[in-house]
Amino acid sequence: MADDPLTAQTAQRTLARALRDGGAYADLFCERRSSVQMRLQEGAMHEAGLSQVLGAGVRVVVGESAGYAYIEDLTEERLLEAAARAAAIARLTAEGSSRSARLQRLHRAGDALYDRARTENAEPMHLANLLERADAAARKVDTRIVAVNAHVLDELQEIWIARSDGSFRYDRRPMVTLGVQCIARSDRERGTGYCADGGRTSMTFFQSTTPEELARESARVAVVNAEARPAPAGEFETLLGAGGGGVLLHEAVGHGLEGDFNRRGVSLYSGRIGERVASELVTIYDDGDIPEERGSTSFDDEGTPCGHTVLVERGVLRGYLHDELNARLMGMHSTGNGRRQSYRHLPQPRMCNTYMPPGDAQLDEMIASIDRGIYAKSFAGGQVDIGKGDFVFMIAEGYLIERGRLGAAVRNATIVGNGPDAMTKVTAVGNDARLARRHYTCGKGGQYVPVGVGMPTLQISAMSVGGTDGE
Amino acid sequence: MASEEEARDRARRAVEIALAAGASDAEARIVIARRFSAQARGERITKLDASDGRSLSMRLFLDGRKASMTGTQWSDEAIRFGVEKALEQARYTAVDPYAGLPEPGEIPDRELALYDLAIDARADEERLEDVRRVERSIRAADPRIDNSNGSHYDDASVTMALANSRGRLGSYRGTQIGVSASPVASEGRYKRTAHYGSASRFLARLDEPEEIAREAVRRTILFYGATKPRTQSTAVIFDREVAAAVLTDIFAACSAANVAVGNSWLVDRIGERIGSDLVDLLDDGTIPGALGSSPFDAEGVPSQRTPVFERGVLRSFLFDTYYARRLGARSTGNASGGGIGPNTFFLAPGKRSLEELIAATARGILVLETIGFATEHASGLYSRGARGIEIRDGELTEPIEEFTIAAPFPEILAGVDAVANDLKFDGSITSPSFRVAEMQISGSPSAL
Repeated sequence: MADDPLTAQTAQRTLARALRDGGAYADLFCERRSSVQMRLQEGAMHEAGLSQVLGAGVRVVVGESAGYAYIEDLTEERLLEAAARAAAIARLTAEGSSRSARLQRLHRAGDALYDRARTENAEPMHLANLLERADAAARKVDTRIVAVNAHVLDELQEIWIARSDGSFRYDRRPMVTLGVQCIARSDRERGTGYCADGGRTSMTFFQSTTPEELARESARVAVVNAEARPAPAGEFETLLGAGGGGVLLHEAVGHGLEGDFNRRGVSLYSGRIGERVASELVTIYDDGDIPEERGSTSFDDEGTPCGHTVLVERGVLRGYLHDELNARLMGMHSTGNGRRQSYRHLPQPRMCNTYMPPGDAQLDEMIASIDRGIYAKSFAGGQVDIGKGDFVFMIAEGYLIERGRLGAAVRNATIVGNGPDAMTKVTAVGNDARLARRHYTCGKGGQYVPVGVGMPTLQISAMSVGGTDGE
Repeated sequence: MASEEEARDRARRAVEIALAAGASDAEARIVIARRFSAQARGERITKLDASDGRSLSMRLFLDGRKASMTGTQWSDEAIRFGVEKALEQARYTAVDPYAGLPEPGEIPDRELALYDLAIDARADEERLEDVRRVERSIRAADPRIDNSNGSHYDDASVTMALANSRGRLGSYRGTQIGVSASPVASEGRYKRTAHYGSASRFLARLDEPEEIAREAVRRTILFYGATKPRTQSTAVIFDREVAAAVLTDIFAACSAANVAVGNSWLVDRIGERIGSDLVDLLDDGTIPGALGSSPFDAEGVPSQRTPVFERGVLRSFLFDTYYARRLGARSTGNASGGGIGPNTFFLAPGKRSLEELIAATARGILVLETIGFATEHASGLYSRGARGIEIRDGELTEPIEEFTIAAPFPEILAGVDAVANDLKFDGSITSPSFRVAEMQISGSPSAL
């Protein structure tokens, strides 16, 4: 791998320039990202590509304001220009008079969370082989599989963060993803299945979680959906599947606990720490330090170590997710949740890996207890309105429950609910907690970052299902 | 900032390097952008970002195989390094008879009015004043507005250059500007928020900050006291912004990349009547001044106007060169760099105003916001969370929320029975408001 694009001396001078016109704090985020990806379509290796990105951004913070400028030509001259542009925020407010401290020696993150030894992207031959295996396995599942689309990504992100408090850190973060999409065709309909996994690891991950396993799962769901009937419309008792059901926690609760919304007082959870916000069966954590999870990093994109944050404990709101700026304004400490998509973006408080620990209910007993309902086994994604708490998520695989038994598969539908309302309607928590397969990405304010989710099966007494079958 | 001439030279140079490294054909696309964005909240400017970005995207061909490369570094050395790695990757792709550059051809010189000097010439203080005006106006507009998620301003000046090894060479420059507001009002424990903005290529065509603020506030306040509607089947009017979101899904089904692999509910349906007579859907890259216009697409194919649906009949899919060759068609100029994308994809407007549409609706729902995404294009089922206002006897009545609307796309298009005249070319997928005769609403249990 190439040399460091940034020396301590240059970083030091950039920070000094950033704070010359005032300001309370400054940082420099430098990133080098190299990735390779390949895509297989219709049984043939269809696309191959690589990306080599290098850039840096300078931030100056004054009160609740931030000035920012990024560049891609990393000469000292251009870095100083960027620092001067970011300092415009200080000239505007004429507040703060911090000096940048002397930078410490570059601290290189350890290997606790992911293997940092790898310095090169995986060989294309290796990637091609994984895709070919996935394709062959998916086609073998069922004659109704009419199309297979598989993609694989291997990425290495190196970051250098220099802060005006003297901290200077480096990390190398790996990320791999292998995803398989299948389309099945039945007499009645086309259906899609998607299955992906990976995380902050290397291609060796796919020795234990094999391409064949992902392909078979994707093909199975495609066939289920091709044979599925329209989902009903209306309010139903609902079971949300273990693992991927964690999208519910992410949308219905997690976003509403992010520090920026709460500092501004625009979240319905603002000012409610210590209050009951959910059924006492509900406990939710966000951890940035689970090995190899997509949302894990040795330290966040502001250089703050990631850890374990209790968000909701037995129904009571315990904490928010913080980056440095919002924590400071609220008199709290950063929880290591300051994340950004790239050097082109300012950090925001974001979730890392959000999950619920297990309860004691059995899945079969939960199904047996429902007279008429929906079992939403997995999800294709979700979205939330922070202020009102209304959220949706899209069912990727779902079934009717009729008189205590699993019934016919229902086609993809949206489930809509209100976060706090749904959380008080949790009537049982399964003993089957697990983290979902690692492929989720979260969008906020135009920035996309990898996250993890997890959950046991959850029983909710009423949710609106957006099907087309109007009884 | 670099001139168009410099950008073209760099693109041409990248192609030379690729050929020297062994590529049989190559294409380079360069984007250089100056961006300014600011956020105001309360009395303060809370974010100010002034940055220059650049990127190089290349497609390389090697005797029927292909690979792509993107990056931010464009010294000869960095380009050579990336090209060599990409060519190595290309060896693992399948030989594909359809892969390759477009047939040689000229890019016609057409005046599309994409660039506004007034935007580039603005002083930072003028930009900041716009966003301060929005923020002040939302608080002045209604006493119930007690907070803000921040008002935004952004503008950009983008230079794009393209060169390929078959002699195609072109460049253009465009500007864009956008202002938006996000007021917050408390209603008990809940915070009501709405987001509303205006965007254009021209400073003079942007809505006034006060106007943007007023509309954002109106959309925030009108949901006070919203309830959950009962489960029912009823007429739905999609307000222009949510109508555009519906078109985004329809666009995906019209993309030849999805059609070619069976991932579209429109497969094998060219010539079929699918929509009502009012469904005229077009993709047009040649509308002067439109945000979605450009002289050529990501592979240098000149922009054109493509009727996709005419009076409800599916006429054409949207193609880049690759999928056009595969499906025996001609490129419609929709290459977007890594896929097929819209120029301006829109529904042709009708004659009546949205207000007249509402007045002509006996019973229904005006949908103002939808949430959710992830449509399964293979089966073509639309299902979203929604928020809106009930219509009874031609009048807007109570606000409603926390419900879903759903229907298969063919039924939505066949059910379009009125289209409003409120089309604006303010995005690459845009639509006038339209009404669908009947859709399934899922809310609280229906009364017996």
